[in-house]
Amino acid sequence: MKPFDPRLLTRARAARGYMLLTAGLTVATTACVLATAVLLARSLAPVIDGDATWADVAPAVAAVAGLVVLRAVLAAATERFAHRSATRVIAELRAQALNHAATLGPRWLARHGSEVRTTLTRGLDDLEPYFVRYLPQLLLAAILTPAVLILMATLDLTAAVTVVALLPVIPVFMWLIGVVTQTFARRRLEESERLGAQLLDLLAGLPTLQAFGRALGPAERVRSLAQASRRSTMATLRVAFASSAVLELFASLIVAAVAVGVGLRLVTGSVSLEAGLAVLILAPEALLPIRQVGAHFHASADGIAAAERVHAVLDTEPPPDGTGHAPETVHAIRWNAVTVGADDRAYAAPRDLTGRAVAGQVTGLTGPNGAGKSTAMLTLVGALTPDEGEVLVEAPDGVTSVASLSPEQWWQQVAWVPQRPVIEPGTVADYLGVTRPADDSRLAEAASATGWSEVIASLPQGWQTRIGQGGWGLSLGQRQRLALTRALLAPAPVLALDEPTAHLDGLAQEHLIEVLRRAATAGRVVVVVAHRPELIEACDAVIAVRAGERVA
Amino acid sequence: MSAETRSGSPVEPTRPADVLQGPESQGESREGADLSARGGGRPGRGGRSAGGARSGGLLSDLRAVRAILPLLDVSRRRALVAVAWGSLTLSAAVGLAAVSAWLIARASQMPHVLDLTVAVVTVRALGISRGLFRYLDRLASHDVALRGVATLRERLYRTLAVGRPEATLGLRRGDLLSRIGADADAVGDVVVRGLLPAAVAAVVSTGSVILVGAFSPAIGAVLALTLLIAGVLGPVLAARAARVAEVDAMEHRRDVSVATTTILDGATELRVQGGMPRARTALAEAESGLRGARDRAAGPAALAHGIGVLTSGIATVAALVIGIPAMTAGTLTPVELAVVVLTPMAAFEATAALPAAAVQVTRSASAARRIRALLHAAGPERCPESSPRVRSKRQNAATHDAKVLARGLACGWPGHTVVSGIDLQLEPGRAVVLLGPSGSGKTTTALTLAGLIEPIGGKLEIRGGRTPTDAVSFTPEDAHLFSTTVLENLRVARGDVDVEEAHRVLERVGLNGLVAALPEGLDTLVSAETLSGGERRRLLLARALCSPAPLLILDEPTEHLDADTALALQQDILTLGRERGILLITHDERGIDAADEVLRLDESARLDR
Repeated sequence: MKPFDPRLLTRARAARGYMLLTAGLTVATTACVLATAVLLARSLAPVIDGDATWADVAPAVAAVAGLVVLRAVLAAATERFAHRSATRVIAELRAQALNHAATLGPRWLARHGSEVRTTLTRGLDDLEPYFVRYLPQLLLAAILTPAVLILMATLDLTAAVTVVALLPVIPVFMWLIGVVTQTFARRRLEESERLGAQLLDLLAGLPTLQAFGRALGPAERVRSLAQASRRSTMATLRVAFASSAVLELFASLIVAAVAVGVGLRLVTGSVSLEAGLAVLILAPEALLPIRQVGAHFHASADGIAAAERVHAVLDTEPPPDGTGHAPETVHAIRWNAVTVGADDRAYAAPRDLTGRAVAGQVTGLTGPNGAGKSTAMLTLVGALTPDEGEVLVEAPDGVTSVASLSPEQWWQQVAWVPQRPVIEPGTVADYLGVTRPADDSRLAEAASATGWSEVIASLPQGWQTRIGQGGWGLSLGQRQRLALTRALLAPAPVLALDEPTAHLDGLAQEHLIEVLRRAATAGRVVVVVAHRPELIEACDAVIAVRAGERVA
Repeated sequence: MSAETRSGSPVEPTRPADVLQGPESQGESREGADLSARGGGRPGRGGRSAGGARSGGLLSDLRAVRAILPLLDVSRRRALVAVAWGSLTLSAAVGLAAVSAWLIARASQMPHVLDLTVAVVTVRALGISRGLFRYLDRLASHDVALRGVATLRERLYRTLAVGRPEATLGLRRGDLLSRIGADADAVGDVVVRGLLPAAVAAVVSTGSVILVGAFSPAIGAVLALTLLIAGVLGPVLAARAARVAEVDAMEHRRDVSVATTTILDGATELRVQGGMPRARTALAEAESGLRGARDRAAGPAALAHGIGVLTSGIATVAALVIGIPAMTAGTLTPVELAVVVLTPMAAFEATAALPAAAVQVTRSASAARRIRALLHAAGPERCPESSPRVRSKRQNAATHDAKVLARGLACGWPGHTVVSGIDLQLEPGRAVVLLGPSGSGKTTTALTLAGLIEPIGGKLEIRGGRTPTDAVSFTPEDAHLFSTTVLENLRVARGDVDVEEAHRVLERVGLNGLVAALPEGLDTLVSAETLSGGERRRLLLARALCSPAPLLILDEPTEHLDADTALALQQDILTLGRERGILLITHDERGIDAADEVLRLDESARLDR
């Protein structure tokens, strides 16, 4: 695990400004620390030697007081800026990762979606301690520590050599910490995630267990899981702490060695008291950033890990997009031996799907649960490229494969409503893309066909009601009605509707079927996933979708 | 996702209807109730936890943390040992500074080297011991906290297990569930990062003040004052920053989380339908709200940090200002001057940990409040026998005695009757269907008939066991499938289900094909994600059949299945266990011809024959 990943600088603009300003503040802090130590020694040494009184050293003490205030201000500024930058860097990374993840396609999202969601909603927050605690100390270790050592060398070369000779031990152990904690952190994470998941599974099942009257049964199991979790954590901590304890040990040993060395040289008179005091004050200052880096390493490791996961998302190449010009008139859609493999099982859904949906007809995709009807829709939409076979678009100027079309252009030609539509936030009118909803007769017709007109009557601000995130909550059925309304309004030559009548009662279903028939008569390609017998009945043609073993 | 996106996720369930509303459960069904309840749109933050989290400061947070500590059952001895190691660690640092200062000042007077021997050895010893003590300190403090968390987890489970089911029904929400895990950890963190460092800081600060005060009472007094400022003002400011950053930012954080989820879940659809720009705008708006709250928090946090640096500097300068004239006046020796000037810097290492400790207290306080609210919601142990309305005969009755008898039964939640006038008799050999459209109160009725919630009125008699669950087994629409093997999932219903019986039951529900296809048969690990909807339903049905209870209540067992599968399953259910009593709750009128009796709940939620 790298202490600093340069990709952060290239990917998050806020990180660049942050590093620059913090480096500047660190240089100023360093100057402050050096001056304070020298002035403190200068005001103390002559007094201890009996050569000076308060009046002689008062200016130096006043200067120390000024430096104290300055250093406090610098510390506060560094901290404030770190907090602000962290927030911005996190937001930048989140937006980038989301934009990129969205282009990686449904297959990738199905496999990585929940993990990415956890990283983006919770994991990235761990970058805050990384920016606030770890990075400033890393910069101090890089700037202040060498500066202090140089000053020490001019004051008492032997002391500086002592520190320089012992200091490399610390990076060696830092490296060891890195290696050991990485292995252990991963193992610990896996172990505690496993134990945690088992515990949560039991908690999630409590209502079920209660219904069977067996809720107390697993209490003993919970206890042993909790204890196992504790033991596994302690075992890893013993190792993780041992390496950082060695770091602390050497840091304080170096200070002790410097103090003893300076003391013994003072007795022989080879060092002045002023130099000796300055060195004594400086030695811990040189080591503090290194100790802090060690102390905050664990806190920041999660942040680095989260950032790495984000980088991994950003480094994933999206599937290649087609570039072909999408036709604006579509005669038919044809599935030609389309097979899409399911991820974790050795079968494909759909398998070997062949069929043709012709303009002017309502075509139904039928088949049992899990046959791959919705996946077939995804291949039509072009969001998913089949593993085998292809989806063809028959247009006046020839037949092309969906995969070869420019997605942006093709999506203009398809109005698609999935089973669980997502409503992006905004007003109802925004969503439907209408400006004068009240006197739009096509809208009125579409809304009454989908049953959305009943819903709109119950909304507080009618068409101007804000929906989606932060707005009025819509149930799944209402969302589907709204999405259907938009699809019916769209001028697209292809209508792809996944179970459009799922949430409608008998009368409403008849009404919608009639509207779909009219859309077909108008020359559109209408494809529906159909479960209900009434809807299947209403289709002009039916394509049976089947899943099956995948032939290797 | 419906319920989550609608109510905006981690909100404490306050109304029973909220509690009942699982994330995936009833899509369309609750829309009526939902819209009316939501009124103004954005849901309020409910529950006893919310009020406390917003008001009050560090003190109220400390009280919240203290209130939960007894549940951790922390051993006093272990805690004292941890504090002792922590204090020794920091004392070694303070000692190292003091003795080094003495050593150098004394050495400059060029005494015989032998005069310095003790100091030299002490400096070296302190140098070594610091790292050692630190190690022991961290192990001891983490041990205390982890033991506490393990105890807390177990208590939480036991309390919820015997508590009111309403409390645990909310656990179906994924976010609430994972929060319980995180909350227990947060309570452990407050021990390691909050309480123990505070105790150590108090011990070490007092020791440093005594040490310095012994040489110069005036400097000791200044040190005491500056340590107090650093140890109180810094943490208070840091806690305020944390509260702004976390509690005030919570709503924005939730918005960001919802916007993120919207884009991820709807990525394909948003891209295809051109909704992505608006989804991104929503995210940007949420981020800007979050940024605002975070930036407000950065101020006090920075101030807290600055105060730490400033107070330690002031203590040193004050030592110079007081000490130098004192030495000239002869009340302080030169060596003592070096000690009183150079020691305070080290002493502030103890208070340096306190702002972070206060932040931890603030963070953990919300967790502590949520845990207490959950425990409170679960309530004291439930005694079904003591219920005034449910009479369950205390006997080890034989199967044929089992019976659920409802006369004029009214079901609902305190203050809200959902269904009334239910007359129903369920006994082995009878198959009853409760038919009603979505949202007509079927689930509430089922929970009541299963003895899991109290009736609102009328009479309910559940016979045939010591507790209602002995007689009646209830399988809710979204019953939990445990992430374990097929066999273990069946054994949830009864511990002694053997392989042969398992195969028999699975065959009855039409799952023999699946089990044969699974790589390790009955011992294959399954979860809700690895099975199709139909397989999951059938496995849950098989589990219900394994239950020793003679009466089964099945809530919407065919929801989300395709029409043929649903029809077949519904027919199967009614003819499955003729030796059992079966109450099938459904909105689907097909395939129920085999029922002995059909009860209808109409829209107005009154029972109608």
